Amino acid sequence: MIEETKLEKIVGKANIDRKRTTLHEYSQDMSFIHPIRPEAVIKPQNTAEIQQLINLARQTGTPLIPISSGSPHFRGDTVPSIGGAIIVDLSGMKKIFRVSRKHRVAMFEPGVTFEELIKAVAKEGLRLNMPLLPRISKSVVGSILEREPVIMPKYHWDIADPLACTEVILGTGDVIRTGAAAGSGTIEEQWAAGGAQKEAAGPSSASWYRVIQGSQGTMGIVTWISARCEIIPKLEEPFLVGSSKLDKIMDVVHWLIRRRLINECFVLNNVNLASIMAKNVTRNKHQLQTGLPPFILFFNIAAYDYFPEERLNGQTKDMIEIMQQVGLDVVKTLGGITAAELLKTVQQPSTEPFWKLREKGGCQDIFFLTLNDRLEELVNTMYNLVSESGYPTSDIGIYLQPIVQGVNCHFEFNLPYNPENQEEYHQVRTLSEKITKALINKGVFFSRPYGEQTRYIMNRDAATVAALKKVKAIVDPDNIMNPGKLCF
Amino acid sequence: MALTKEQYAAFEDIVGSAYISSDPVIMYSYSWRSGLYAGIDNFTPLFEAALLPQTTEEVQAIVKLCNKYGLQFKATSTNWGPYNDAAGPGVLKIDLRRMNRIIEINEKNMYAVVEPYVIGAQLQAECMKRGFNCNQNGAGTNCSALPIAAHGGYGHLSQSGSYGERNMLALEWVTPDGEIIKLGSLGSADEWFCGDGPGPSLRGIIRGNVTPLGGLGVFTKAATKIYPWSGPAVFPIEGVSPHYAPSQIPPHFLICFYSFPSLDMLDEAQRKIGESEIAYELMGFNAAMAASNIATSNEEMVKLFKEFSGMVQGPCCMIIIVGDSTRDFEYKTKVLKQIAEETQGKSLDKIVEDPKVAGGCLWRWMRSTGSIREVFRATGCFGGEVGGTDTYRLMADYIIETGKCKDDLIKKQLVYNDGSSPFTQCIEHGHTGHGELLIRYRPDATTWNGLMEFMAKANNIAINGHFGVPGHVFSDAQHDIYGPHVSNYHLWLRRIKASFDPNNASEGSHYITVKK
Amino acid sequence: MSLEEYKNDMQTCCRCSACKFIPFENVKGFDNVNVCPSISRYDFHAYSGGGRLGIGMALLEKRIDYTDKLLEVIYNCQMCGACDTSCKYAMDMEVIEPINEIRFACVESGHTLPILDKMIASLRAQGPMVLGTKVKRGEWAKGLKVKDYTKQKAEIIYHAGCRTCYDQSMWHTAQSVIKLMQKADSDVAIAYEESCCGGRAYQMGYREVALNQAQRNMDMMKKAGVKTLVTGCAECYYAFKVLYDKFEGKGDIEVLHTSEYFNRLIKKGSLKPQKKVNLSVTYHDPCHLGRQGEPYIHWNGKRIPGQIILFDPPKEFRRGTYGVYQPPRDILESIPGLKLIEMDRTKEYAWCCGAGGGVSETNPEFARWTANERIKEAKRTGAEAIVTGCPGCETSFNAAIKEDVNGFKVFDVVELLAKTIF
Repeated sequence: MIEETKLEKIVGKANIDRKRTTLHEYSQDMSFIHPIRPEAVIKPQNTAEIQQLINLARQTGTPLIPISSGSPHFRGDTVPSIGGAIIVDLSGMKKIFRVSRKHRVAMFEPGVTFEELIKAVAKEGLRLNMPLLPRISKSVVGSILEREPVIMPKYHWDIADPLACTEVILGTGDVIRTGAAAGSGTIEEQWAAGGAQKEAAGPSSASWYRVIQGSQGTMGIVTWISARCEIIPKLEEPFLVGSSKLDKIMDVVHWLIRRRLINECFVLNNVNLASIMAKNVTRNKHQLQTGLPPFILFFNIAAYDYFPEERLNGQTKDMIEIMQQVGLDVVKTLGGITAAELLKTVQQPSTEPFWKLREKGGCQDIFFLTLNDRLEELVNTMYNLVSESGYPTSDIGIYLQPIVQGVNCHFEFNLPYNPENQEEYHQVRTLSEKITKALINKGVFFSRPYGEQTRYIMNRDAATVAALKKVKAIVDPDNIMNPGKLCF
Repeated sequence: MALTKEQYAAFEDIVGSAYISSDPVIMYSYSWRSGLYAGIDNFTPLFEAALLPQTTEEVQAIVKLCNKYGLQFKATSTNWGPYNDAAGPGVLKIDLRRMNRIIEINEKNMYAVVEPYVIGAQLQAECMKRGFNCNQNGAGTNCSALPIAAHGGYGHLSQSGSYGERNMLALEWVTPDGEIIKLGSLGSADEWFCGDGPGPSLRGIIRGNVTPLGGLGVFTKAATKIYPWSGPAVFPIEGVSPHYAPSQIPPHFLICFYSFPSLDMLDEAQRKIGESEIAYELMGFNAAMAASNIATSNEEMVKLFKEFSGMVQGPCCMIIIVGDSTRDFEYKTKVLKQIAEETQGKSLDKIVEDPKVAGGCLWRWMRSTGSIREVFRATGCFGGEVGGTDTYRLMADYIIETGKCKDDLIKKQLVYNDGSSPFTQCIEHGHTGHGELLIRYRPDATTWNGLMEFMAKANNIAINGHFGVPGHVFSDAQHDIYGPHVSNYHLWLRRIKASFDPNNASEGSHYITVKK
Repeated sequence: MSLEEYKNDMQTCCRCSACKFIPFENVKGFDNVNVCPSISRYDFHAYSGGGRLGIGMALLEKRIDYTDKLLEVIYNCQMCGACDTSCKYAMDMEVIEPINEIRFACVESGHTLPILDKMIASLRAQGPMVLGTKVKRGEWAKGLKVKDYTKQKAEIIYHAGCRTCYDQSMWHTAQSVIKLMQKADSDVAIAYEESCCGGRAYQMGYREVALNQAQRNMDMMKKAGVKTLVTGCAECYYAFKVLYDKFEGKGDIEVLHTSEYFNRLIKKGSLKPQKKVNLSVTYHDPCHLGRQGEPYIHWNGKRIPGQIILFDPPKEFRRGTYGVYQPPRDILESIPGLKLIEMDRTKEYAWCCGAGGGVSETNPEFARWTANERIKEAKRTGAEAIVTGCPGCETSFNAAIKEDVNGFKVFDVVELLAKTIF
């Protein structure tokens, strides 16, 4: 346990919160993880404070849990796994250091939300490759470090995108910068020389940014990142395709991405689209849902500075040719929803309440990566399991996000439920475990394991676990960084 | 330190008697020095033996035996650069030549899985049959198609086809202590489509913007992203060596070569081209490289270089446009023309006007076959400055600065005088860039000393000018120079090495070693 | 020349491995990218062109000696020259010349292989260069009314070569040559007691023997007033056209391969392919007719000191560009009913038949393996037969298809021409 006076010396009394209500709030989240109360919630403001905190934590063996987003949290990674932990809440670190139009990059602290960053980069004519409707309190750094899938597969060259460089304080207390940011020189010196902290890899023969991503705070605490931005188009033309034939939809998706014709692109089932677009979930959602086809593909064609009308026109015609070859129709409106309003919606974070919670107040997400040609099979597996359990299949949300320029697909099932209803709670909890295990046996890849199923997922690959433990021993030998998460 | 009889027999039991040798004739052929960074010694330290395994299990068994016997190993695919060599005795050569299969080309999910001795040309040709392409190493299509085999792996197609660090998906890795780790979806689900997770990505410890150069075990299979290709399934090449060219340039292909009045203009042009996403390739070849690529002899190259030098107004770049449809091609061509006008780009017509010349250049730069001409023919040896990767302009400026040091070498006639114009390139539609300064030389003591002085100056420029860590930085000595200025990355690299190679079995003289 | 004189060339090897593959621009897929049979078979780098150059340097620096292993590596090579052609696509350096020079060094220092010594001993005695033969040199011409240029003047001669003279299965091709030439009113002569061209001896490392043979042959031909020499053997073609010129003994004699000669006659109208030959074939370019068959380039100069490799006077490299590729193809395409399908590895980057460099004698298994690879490639085209222009290639392929149940055949271009004419 860290002495109060030492903590106060680092962050100041006002930034230490031991209130019961606060601690209760951080002891649990919307996942099924077992609640454990932290000792305190600390709000540091800069790198130096965090570094001192880590050094102190090492001396006393105090677990630290870094958090950058505001509540509610969903995945269990921000809830302590053991007692005596201190929450390091970075949500107050809101500096946006730089937005460079020329270099298409922004550099910012963990507390910056999507809404805040979108506004800042838009001033320079830039935008983010965003996840689908993040909650209003979601940290951009948090989202990127979690490797959340983004909705413009064309600009998703690598699964790590849009992450570029980071400054991270490792569990050893060492401050390192990754990628081009590592040096030489201070960040300002690098800017003066013409650098922009764009290259994520390196320096030399390691890419530490990849180790930090997906680590759920078990390697260190990130104090800022630089992230790749894209240009705001001059013209945009969104479209919708509705069908019950998922294989045809994915055929179209493959060609649209392969031909680099589209920016935003994702597939939702009618449940999820209705949840997102219904103006009043209680009144409109089911009506909207029943008016939609089972699967809806959304995509957006954009044109930039040079001859935008010609470009848009040409790419639209090319897109229509693909549609004709596959045998699907493209429309501007589907079931009362226009492509234009959907585009506007997904270019911002979710409005409140968070779209996944609107109907029932809770939602369990099951997500994994898989091959593009397996989706229909997996949907069927899911539905069979769900219908066996008694959970209403008409409530299942499905979100398919092609990523890494179409190389694979983020597949997400959303199971809304009322967390106050014990029966529903247990039903979804049991179902979640059952589905995860069944899908693992189908050969899908849970690349981002969270919550109760983490051990089961990690233990499928003993060699990787052994290697990760070696890495952990390098960067956090005292195991103070979010102990108990993943395989640590 | 020769292998004992018992040791030799044990290794022979793994690969079979036909695939192991310690005969001096065999050993000396492996020790003939590379033309890359060639020093004054014609031969590098001999390996104790050379082994040719065919499977991952054989590789693992060899590695485990090395750990047991206190030997080291250096695994290689096409064995071109100096990092394939041993630094001293006690090292076994694991020649992966027999591991040469394309395991899979998955069209629906746009990736290919290869073993180390599949060369770029093979994979590219098979991809093209299926409407795909793959990045080629800048060094040439004769290099391994494995996205972690090359030094860096950036290449001619990186503008639209990125490079190894970004393209690699799942990987099969025999660690220095003989474990087999399958990264990402391969370990968890026996699938190749993802190299990251579960949780943190081990891709982060096995390479950065350069690879571990044989010092971190053996990479036996890898999946790599493949990219769309709208060209013919088989490029229509005609002619007899060395004069190959397509019978005609296929429809929707265009090659342009521009020079610009200043680096500012070229920088602006590459930025606009990148943002408009029109280029399939964008390579900042200078006049010397263009002349070397086209010429079929040094005699011809000297003449062409003189001609081109008189025709270019400043730094240059080559652009290839490939249209996915007529509309797409017309648009891209129009935009390129507009950008060239805006940035005062001047076409080097001698390259692009004659369809035979243009077609030959287009295919050579698409297939990446001209690199040997560009860097090795003049003198047999090539060294110089290999920059890192970051913003295009930063990388270009670094090369301009180090180019001034090259001018000194030229004045002293220690290297071939091909000017000091930068060679630059763009990656991922200009999000990042890379630069190199070609230095072509005949290795003798005076030149070698001059080059060492040059490298020291180049390192100072990189560090003091904040140009990042160049790609030519490898081995302990260089890491120890850069590390303290660059987040002490060298100490973390050593920790990776110590942790994953507890017996120091993977010869790390070019990667890093664990120093006491 | 000596190995020392090729030091600069050997030192220019940068280790790029281009010598192992066909010129990369021509790679059309995963298969058929290898061009060097030696490394394709034995895999260690030493067995490649670049590997042997490194060995050459090691010999010069006295780091290795003339051991059994050295001989094994040096002689498990068909001297096909594919490494030389592939290298010279990009580089200005000699490859096959220094490799041949290593063989000279072996022989001249008394290190060689017994079976080669046996063949050379036979040659020195003007005996056959084909071991185990039971026929006499001029027997193939029995019954043909053709004059002997060793006894009378003749402007045009046909040289059959050892592999034809001493192998009964090749006689019909030589006989067809004479018949075709006579049909075109050619006053062709032969030597009933031919003398070996010496070409294979040269490739095996016996320089002096080859020089002696050259002298002998040229004396004979000059005495007869020969102006044109026609041969159907690629090795002989290479010897007369390239080596003898290199030895500065060729004089003004025009050396033609049978395909070149007959192609001329067809184009002139002196021979008219008329009968249908319904067959799909693929053509194999013999190494010494194709990439190694281009004219010799005399050059006597030196490297200009300095960084860049330049010569005074400028040196033009033989890169395989001007080998005999088109004439055999033209003949095949002129035959009615015949369909020509190309293999992946053709012309200057054709895969070797396996027979050259003494390999068919020193390592018949390797020769067979090499030929098998070529036959596999030929069959994959869908062709019914492989056609070539060299008895060495034909013998090698015939051995490979001996047990072929599908009836895949081997022909000489002349054989098919004879079918359409007679």
